Amino acid sequence: MTGLLLWLKRRADNVAVILLAAMFFTFILQIVFRYVFSSPLGWTLEACLLLWLWLVFWGAATLLDDRDHVRFDILYNYVGSRTRGVFAILTAVAIVFAFVKALPATWDYVAFMKIESTSLLKVRFDFVFSIYLLFSLAIVLRYSWRILCVIRNRGHGPVPMDHTESAEHDQH
Amino acid sequence: MSYEFLLCLVALFGLSALGAPIALSMVVAAVTYLSLKGQDLGLAAEQMLQGLFTSFILLAVPLFIVAANVMNAGTISDRLLKFCVAVVGRFRGGLGHVNIVASLIFSGMSGSAIADAAGIGKIIINMMTRDGRYTPGFAAALTAASATIGPIIPPSIPMVMYALVSDTSIGYLFLGGIVPGLLMGLVLMVLNSFLAVRKQLAVEQATALRELPRLTLQAFPALMMPVILLFGIYGGATTPTEAAAVAAAYALLLAGLFYRSLTLRSLYKVFSESARSSAAVGLVIGGALIFNYIVASENIPGTVAEAMKSLDMSPVAFLLLVNLLILVLGCLLDATTLLLVIIPLFIPACRELGIDLVHFGVVVVVNTMIGLITPPYGILLFVINAVTGIPLQSIIREILPFLAVLLFALMLITFVPDIVLWLPRVFGYKG
Repeated sequence: MTGLLLWLKRRADNVAVILLAAMFFTFILQIVFRYVFSSPLGWTLEACLLLWLWLVFWGAATLLDDRDHVRFDILYNYVGSRTRGVFAILTAVAIVFAFVKALPATWDYVAFMKIESTSLLKVRFDFVFSIYLLFSLAIVLRYSWRILCVIRNRGHGPVPMDHTESAEHDQH
Repeated sequence: MSYEFLLCLVALFGLSALGAPIALSMVVAAVTYLSLKGQDLGLAAEQMLQGLFTSFILLAVPLFIVAANVMNAGTISDRLLKFCVAVVGRFRGGLGHVNIVASLIFSGMSGSAIADAAGIGKIIINMMTRDGRYTPGFAAALTAASATIGPIIPPSIPMVMYALVSDTSIGYLFLGGIVPGLLMGLVLMVLNSFLAVRKQLAVEQATALRELPRLTLQAFPALMMPVILLFGIYGGATTPTEAAAVAAAYALLLAGLFYRSLTLRSLYKVFSESARSSAAVGLVIGGALIFNYIVASENIPGTVAEAMKSLDMSPVAFLLLVNLLILVLGCLLDATTLLLVIIPLFIPACRELGIDLVHFGVVVVVNTMIGLITPPYGILLFVINAVTGIPLQSIIREILPFLAVLLFALMLITFVPDIVLWLPRVFGYKG
């Protein structure tokens, strides 16, 4: 199971890297065409925005764990592991509840957007925005899993992250 | 303020305090508010998606992140450091000066204080503490303090965020940061000189002057980076977002082709790290977009502006109050949250009081960056603690004098708007 998860995580990482790299090179292409050939391409900007949107939600759905997220964790790191368990369950329940509750309306909104397409590349907006549905589902799954883990762990919350690794991810 | 909004705030701050990711807490808070109001719950997704898809300037964020990570992965940081040692290392407390000057130059390339501290900061702390010449606490405190300059001198990710929420020109904001950034470097260098004499810090072996041309030549392409960036933006050649892409591409070329210090594997790692950071930052920005929608529909900024007006508050008193508030909040919250959630509340009040928004923007960004080194929650302290293993207590013990001079610089910038506005005006800013 863990082997498969690890494999999936690596592939998810590949996709994120491809999205970011594609965005970066599209942007460079735009600059080259505008300033070197003086014939700006319109579609490049739209492509960059699409890739950026997908990068954010794809990354948030598949890659980000507690260590990567912007969090306020003084209190969480300070309390004992039992209290951490309570914290973890409370927050996870709230997150799962809110995302599940919003899901039908979100689905309707995304489906409704099929009537519009992006102006240059003509990508239908229901497709563009469907990444948010994936993100919602992933969050529901991830935090449901966390609730199970805390229960299986007899109420002990996940060990706090040290800042060693978060250091590489935070950007201000 | 409606009771629905109060509950929304309770959800946001409650969940965040318990350790939930800030971005997700904002979504939960928004859903709470919308469902209590009986509004369409799809609005949360709509605000986030439309906001991210239409904000062109946000594209600068991932690009600046890539640029900073490339520079740290290649040997660009090391070369810069060698150059700085050769130039200012010969004075008493020389490595302290090197630290500050390196931060000044590096900040002209990366938009991020964290990248500054984790990259160049780590190397120089090792140099300073070797043979016990400087105490680890002092070296770490100085590094943390000088890293705060990073996002003041352009490029700057926090300023992109401020431009987004305040609708201010990012080009003028970037220009406005240059003099204040230099001022911060200056006060830190004065303090370092003073402490160097008092603590009788070591004098380094001066690098022979005949070495200087060679070291300059090696660092030259890296030194050109800020020049290219600024020339691109202010020569009117590129927009700031395009400049971000050019910066990243230039860093990539330098590290990959010129210095040959970047393998394909390390390049993948750079993009993978950058993708994670971009997703995390993008999600918080998205969350803030929903939250700001709610704040606006409750007309909170308008209420704040009315209150300030009815209190007949002078602009100076207002700035002082906002500074104080952000400093206090900065001890607890991180800079992104402050800039995206708290600052928008005060923008209409600024307009009402006739405070220039470029001035205000630079002041609040300087303020939030100082917040990165105020204990207990100062992310720069954590980062340095993490990459060097120097205990937090000893960093915090040494940080106070640095904090004091940075606050002095903040006060100057606050009360003498010309420090910020002079340069933008030279380039045609009508404010």
